[in-house]
Amino acid sequence: MFTKPLVAIALLASFCYTHAQECTLVLQGKITDFHDSQPLELAQIYVVQLQKTYISKADGSYEITDLCPGNYNISISHYDCDTKKIKIKINQNKTLNISLEHHINDLEEVKILADVHDNHSSTQSSTRIKAKTVQQYSGASLGDALATVSGVSTLKTGNSVVKPIIHGLYGSRVAIVNDGLRQQDQEWGVEHAPNIDINTASTIEVIKGASALRYGGDAIGGTILITPARVIAKDTLNGHAIIQGQTNGRGGSATTTVNNYRESGWYQQATLTYKKLGDFEAPDYVLSNTGSETAAVKLGVGFKTFEYGASAKYSYYQSEIGILRASHIGNASDLVRSINSGQPLIINDFTYDIGAPKQQVAHHGLQFNAYKRFAGLGKLNIDYSFQFNNRQEYDIRRGENAGRASLDMDLQTQNISVYGMVDAFENTIYEAGIDYMTQVNRPNAATEVRRLIPDYDANKVGAFTSVTYNPSENWMLDAGFRYDRYHINATKFYLQSRWEDLGYDEQFASFEIGREGNQIKTQPEFQYDLFAFTAGAKYVLNSHYDLSINLSSANRAPNPSELFSDGLHHALATIELGRLDLRKEQSYKINTAFHVNKGRLDLEINPYVNFVNDFIQLVPTGLETTIRGAFPVFQYEQINARLYGIDLHASYDFWTKKPAEERHTHPNELVYKAVKLLSLETNMSYIHGTSTSDEEPLIDMPPAQIQTQLTWYNAGIENLDLSVSNHAVFQQNRFPDNNFLVSIPNDEGQLITSTVDISSTPAAYSLWNVGASYTFAKANTKINLTANNVLNTQYRNYLNRQRFYADEVGRDLQLQIIYNF
Amino acid sequence: MKMKTMKTTKTMKTMKTMKNYIPVLSLVALLCMTSCTDDNEVQIINEDELITTVELELTSSSDATNVILFKSVDIDGDGPDDPVITVTGTINANTSYDGSIRFLNESIAPTENITEEVIEEGDEHEVFYNSSLADFSITKVDLDANGNPLGVITTLQTGAAGTGTLTVVLRHEPTKPNDNTLSGAGGETDVQVSFALTVE
Repeated sequence: MFTKPLVAIALLASFCYTHAQECTLVLQGKITDFHDSQPLELAQIYVVQLQKTYISKADGSYEITDLCPGNYNISISHYDCDTKKIKIKINQNKTLNISLEHHINDLEEVKILADVHDNHSSTQSSTRIKAKTVQQYSGASLGDALATVSGVSTLKTGNSVVKPIIHGLYGSRVAIVNDGLRQQDQEWGVEHAPNIDINTASTIEVIKGASALRYGGDAIGGTILITPARVIAKDTLNGHAIIQGQTNGRGGSATTTVNNYRESGWYQQATLTYKKLGDFEAPDYVLSNTGSETAAVKLGVGFKTFEYGASAKYSYYQSEIGILRASHIGNASDLVRSINSGQPLIINDFTYDIGAPKQQVAHHGLQFNAYKRFAGLGKLNIDYSFQFNNRQEYDIRRGENAGRASLDMDLQTQNISVYGMVDAFENTIYEAGIDYMTQVNRPNAATEVRRLIPDYDANKVGAFTSVTYNPSENWMLDAGFRYDRYHINATKFYLQSRWEDLGYDEQFASFEIGREGNQIKTQPEFQYDLFAFTAGAKYVLNSHYDLSINLSSANRAPNPSELFSDGLHHALATIELGRLDLRKEQSYKINTAFHVNKGRLDLEINPYVNFVNDFIQLVPTGLETTIRGAFPVFQYEQINARLYGIDLHASYDFWTKKPAEERHTHPNELVYKAVKLLSLETNMSYIHGTSTSDEEPLIDMPPAQIQTQLTWYNAGIENLDLSVSNHAVFQQNRFPDNNFLVSIPNDEGQLITSTVDISSTPAAYSLWNVGASYTFAKANTKINLTANNVLNTQYRNYLNRQRFYADEVGRDLQLQIIYNF
Repeated sequence: MKMKTMKTTKTMKTMKTMKNYIPVLSLVALLCMTSCTDDNEVQIINEDELITTVELELTSSSDATNVILFKSVDIDGDGPDDPVITVTGTINANTSYDGSIRFLNESIAPTENITEEVIEEGDEHEVFYNSSLADFSITKVDLDANGNPLGVITTLQTGAAGTGTLTVVLRHEPTKPNDNTLSGAGGETDVQVSFALTVE
């Protein structure tokens, strides 16, 4: 399809170049172990420009022949070693001896095999977001950056609360592991975004399944691994500073990361971020009360050598986020008015002030790590972490309660884990670990509002073991097993009428411990045994193709929200009820990935299917009338779900080809002497979710979407890149009908029965963005100028909880300056 | 051979260092794990801003014994029980009445009179009355601090006999002044009750 223009470009370009160089140069050398100078056999030397892999011999030697003069990027990897990347200029025959450091990959779960794509480190389908992309999102949220991965979408509340969805699942079905520490920040809430500063990440890896057993077996949607900058044993100070400003929200962010490394092994790392935005603006109006302010800091100190090391880290994240004023409503009549009006019922002038409703969150993380390697055996790791999360939500209140939080919860979590890895065997790595988590949730009674989530104490003890076996260069097999016992003990006051209406007075009479007024004090206590199993195989055909399949079976215990929630939801005018008799979820997922990297094409296709038995979801169960009118009641129920879909990522580079003058030109010359001119990148994802219990579509499934970007490199001026991208989102036509009927008083005093349409999905939309990026070669400085939603398109997003109230944000111009040092 | 010896010495040294680390680390962990939980008694929360009860009392201007009480009580708030709605007294045709409305929280003792807050924050509240009877008119008598209608105190004028509904709505943070319609006033609904209305 692209071949014809490509040939034309190549031909055109060929006239511009006349002189040829001989491609007869040889690069050779020896690959050894950094620590004991032993030769490394079967190391893979991948030459990026040639897309070819060379293998070292038994004596560690390698030879790359028929090289054209020029610059090459070479990545050298060896089973169980850190991959080393080297830039080299070759204009004559050269000898390059390379030493590789064994076992340096502290954070990698499974070691890499002969794979040209460093984003495939296990049989599980995973994608790594590069440091460059992470930097581009310095002023955005973690969720926004994650949405660049095909198969990942976001569940939003407004524009600032962004939760990642992996293969259709989110919340407690997705684990976020921040610097080796599983984030515990009340992630079960639909309106709770991860309390993580994206600028503390160097790279982010998305594992689209439950196979990262080291961090828990219950992530049936997937695991997000956030990795900080790698520690290097060299006397150096490095880091970056980024400032960013945007027109929509009339604010921006500033962040800096400084890393101080010593050859002795001591290091210090620090990241500071501040971000301030006022009200966002939709194409036609101001989105009143959507400003936000975020501050974050992360400090780390440690000592790292090959054999042992330890570190202590502290991180703090705080954020105040305004919630669209018009989305705070009293009853179903207000919701109908809002839906019918087509625009927010409250629109004020732009302001930086944040009033109620709003969220205020603070997250502290403290972690200690120590590791030790044992010669001829492996590695032992001990981690301890303490997390404190406070969340406050402010509603519109009356009288002396105005300005007082409606929800104020402290969640303390402690974790201790011991992890061992045995890598002394030639083709096999064994891993095992045990961990213990204890968690205390304490809602503040001073809110004077009945607790959304009750006081609870929970603990979890778990153990896992896994094995990775590389029978040959082309194959990788892995399998693992994990068991967790989760125990939760809550104290909750139920309205007596609710307790009896749900039949709990008979079913759970043993939980009752007292009665005060019209409320019953209860102490529900539950225990869940959770099992996870994963197995996979990967076949690497050659430097160009690989194929992998992974099966995982996992359990997830119901979260506190699913068990205990009980009350009115102010944004959707619904009463949401938890359920005490929920069972654990059971997921069976098959994930396959096929990857091609040949010539100009890089293609990954990732089909998957996930069967979840006892899938917990909210289902409408009826109407209840209160003094505020009638509300639909949604209760958590368990159904069997089937989710399948396909993710596709493709990039195609259009190159200008320099000519081959001689007849006997080596093919390497043709490949090497090309310059990237244009590149086209596409992400597509489609997901189909069904409740097989009643053959109804699942709610909140991301609609099919295509993101396409065309980049023109060195556009007229050296180091200037121009890009244009499109994000096309189709309408989700598969959704359950949860509409309900209510009586609404009209202005004539009559009660009119109206349908409240909370089910229909917004129309398809297509957004265009353009960008220019200029890199100052010497100063390590980069300037990005971006226009998002450049046509000021008016649209609504099915996965935004505020879609009933307002349009999405309109045009936004952003300027970002990145300085690396 | 030399290298091996060196490595072993180094390993031993690191082992020693590690031995120092581990107890310290475990101690920190243990201390925190035991000390960070608290066993405070979980206190009941009685929501004092909950409106459980709406009482609209009408007294005939000409006959002080002709009193009508429209009452809706939902003692369990957002709980499953429906409000209990009662209407006592007889509304006469072609009569004028003085009306006053009360919002109470009867789920706590003593009962909280929320009407006081509504009056105090009159500029952020307004009560709306709508009747399906054409010649049943309700006029708001009281004003908020800005001189806009509030609607806690009203006068009513009945016309011909008939049956219909009377809907009472309390809005929080409505647009003020407004056109006295529910659709035009905006704000969020704190109370919405419909009473059966019989004019005899």
